[in-house]
Amino acid sequence: MLHLQLGIFALMLEAPSWVSALLGSNDDGALLLFLLAHSITSVLVSAIAINLLPKHLAKPRLPVLILIFGTSYAIPVIGILIIIGGIFLLHALPQIHRADAFEAIELPEIDVHQRPGVGFRQAGMRSFLSNTKAPVATRLRALIALQNVSGRVASPLLRDVLSDSSEDIRLLAYGILDNKEKHINNAIHTEAQNFSQASEGSPEQAETARRLADLYWELVYQELVLGDLRLHALQQSLHFTRISLAGSPDDAGLHLRLGRLLQPLGETHLAHAAYNQALALGLPKTRILPYLAEVAFDLGDFRTVHRLMHELGDWQSLPRLQPVIRYWNEA
Amino acid sequence: MNFPRAKEADIALLLEGTFPYVSGGVSSWVNQIIRAFPELRFAIVFLGSRREDYGAQKYDLPDNVVHLEAHYLYDFDHTQTLPKPDERTLEAGVSGDLAKAHDMFKRDCADPAGKAALHNMCKEIMPGGKLPAESFLYGTQSWDLLCERYRKYCTDPSFVDYFWTVRIMHAPLWQLAKIAHELIPARAYHSVSTGYAGFLGALLQQTHKRPLILSEHGIYTKERKIDLFKSEWIRDNRNIFQRDPTELSYFRQTWISFFEWMGRFCYDAADPIIALYENNRLRQVADGAASERTFNIPNGISLQRFAPLRKLRPENPPPVLCLIGRVVPIKDVKTFIRAMRRVLNQLPEAKGWIAGPEDEDLAYANDCRNLAESLGVADRVKFLGFQKVEDLMPKIGLTILSSISEALPLVILEGYAAGVPTVSTDVGSCRQLIEGLDEEDQAFGHSGAVVNIADPQALADAAIGLLTDPIAWHSASRAGIARVERYYTDDLMFGHYRRVYETALAAKDS
Repeated sequence: MLHLQLGIFALMLEAPSWVSALLGSNDDGALLLFLLAHSITSVLVSAIAINLLPKHLAKPRLPVLILIFGTSYAIPVIGILIIIGGIFLLHALPQIHRADAFEAIELPEIDVHQRPGVGFRQAGMRSFLSNTKAPVATRLRALIALQNVSGRVASPLLRDVLSDSSEDIRLLAYGILDNKEKHINNAIHTEAQNFSQASEGSPEQAETARRLADLYWELVYQELVLGDLRLHALQQSLHFTRISLAGSPDDAGLHLRLGRLLQPLGETHLAHAAYNQALALGLPKTRILPYLAEVAFDLGDFRTVHRLMHELGDWQSLPRLQPVIRYWNEA
Repeated sequence: MNFPRAKEADIALLLEGTFPYVSGGVSSWVNQIIRAFPELRFAIVFLGSRREDYGAQKYDLPDNVVHLEAHYLYDFDHTQTLPKPDERTLEAGVSGDLAKAHDMFKRDCADPAGKAALHNMCKEIMPGGKLPAESFLYGTQSWDLLCERYRKYCTDPSFVDYFWTVRIMHAPLWQLAKIAHELIPARAYHSVSTGYAGFLGALLQQTHKRPLILSEHGIYTKERKIDLFKSEWIRDNRNIFQRDPTELSYFRQTWISFFEWMGRFCYDAADPIIALYENNRLRQVADGAASERTFNIPNGISLQRFAPLRKLRPENPPPVLCLIGRVVPIKDVKTFIRAMRRVLNQLPEAKGWIAGPEDEDLAYANDCRNLAESLGVADRVKFLGFQKVEDLMPKIGLTILSSISEALPLVILEGYAAGVPTVSTDVGSCRQLIEGLDEEDQAFGHSGAVVNIADPQALADAAIGLLTDPIAWHSASRAGIARVERYYTDDLMFGHYRRVYETALAAKDS
């Protein structure tokens, strides 16, 4: 109601000023009077229009007011019509609210003590050793610490730094790897001599064969051999495991080893049979089921994988396998 | 064995564990250098560990070797009973210098006061000096110093091991001082390594004021470090509660520091300090050599000796991979044997030859043979012992270098000159030798392949790639010939050394 009253008042002010202008008065006083009346009209129009605008377009208030006032003042009559038309148009058109491109959020609080991977744990060690910007002396110390770590964990880390830019790092890593491998290879040589000296089919020979199978497997397990050498070690371990099995066919552990050797050699069905045999001979299910699941996965039998994983889910004694079990049970 | 003796010589070569008793790259180089300067009279001081570690001389002595003496630094006579030593005391100044010098190693190796004390020490250990071996071994003050250092620094609980480590480590220094004192006069000294030979050179330079030339092939300190990292004879007596897993055992670290110190002492005295290539020169500077005294002179070989062999080669590359070198851990012969497993899986007709003496490290040579057995390649990998390179080259397809550390291996250059490409590990200047150094050199193309150390699979694949592709093989062969003829001839090397010798011989007493 107030808007209407103000609007009528504005028109009342504007109309006489135009009448005097149209009558062709050349008087300065009349011009001043016209400008004064037109200014007051423009102020009133701005005050009305800003309240009639959609709310999100009425801000910031002062620039919007100045824009409307300017339009009304600079283009007499037509300016007012444009403003009225604009208000109608803005209400008639669909409203689009664009979000700001950037939002300011508060900085997260980082507690450095809670960072994962700090210190020389496996992942931390890997990134630390490969960080060529870290001082060589500190990286050497990290490498020295690896001497006391089991081969399975240490070997991949050591192999990574064999191509490091620092020669000292390369040589130390090589030295540690070489020592680990040397110990196993020397033991293999000694046992191989014992094997050839033992009489064919004797319990001593079966026992030596088992030790040889273990030693070749150790090379594979500790990841001290790669590529064709890994293949060779697997084949040798398989050869001696079979000799050993001939002497003790009911040894469940040997059947498990047989399965684990056959699997990477691509003999998936034979591996499956070996695992089942190990199970039948009394090895606990928790030890065999993960391998059976792996075999099923290799064969593309995902239904069996699912079933075996579900079965494993009842056991809480496999902490490292839990994420895999959880995944399959959720899927 | 009668050694040549003389009253004086022009150049005294100080050789540790090389020419004329050990064959190998450095020894061949020494032989080359001596024969290249027939107008100079050479004296040779050979330093070894124990007499029984070395057999007969592997090289005929050139006519211009007028003097030869051999000394063994760890040839202790265990059967000899020593008389009870007298009580000895050290002068206050000497024991003060001893403490200062050792403090310097613990804190700042560039400390001028410590350096002065060390130089003073090295003067006093000379025969007639104030610090004879007996005073160090039996003196009250040196005992007190030993006990104090043990309490202050030693992280190993065994005092007995500490005591003997310190004694054994220092014992050769007095022997070297005696050698320096008694050596015939020479106009210049030339050592081909730091270590004990370099220390002897520094003592000689300090005593006789004649120039010491140092030509380092490998970096001695680094190679010692490799040995020490791997050695199993150094004890660590710490129990699980005392042990910091990130720390080397105290004695291992002490041995490393000892060789580092000897290296720095030699660098201080030597001028010029010559490396074979830029990375080694930078390493020398990092280890304490004054940059302005260092420069590079690459190895070179005699083209006349090898070029005629190119005609004897078959059209297609023979499937023979040959590692020419001593059978020692630094050559990582085991990686070559492992690589042969894969090569034979892919190329059953291939052969692997290992041509080099095995007597330097019999245990390692034995390990290598055992490895070949256990990998089932023993019938295709042959240990040929020492061979004449000229006899081998026409029969082989590739020279293989599986070393974990090298400088500028002559065997690659010899192969190139005979038209044989190479597959080498990325050590020393091997990448530069195979792929070229600057643009002009690189334009010749690759004369083989470079692989990472201890990567048998990659080594095998690179070798198979070249042997099964005659076009690539011939291209590599051509690149090798062009490279060696342009950059690595002995004429170039002798020219550089002629200037080095002329400068040293003309120098006034310093």
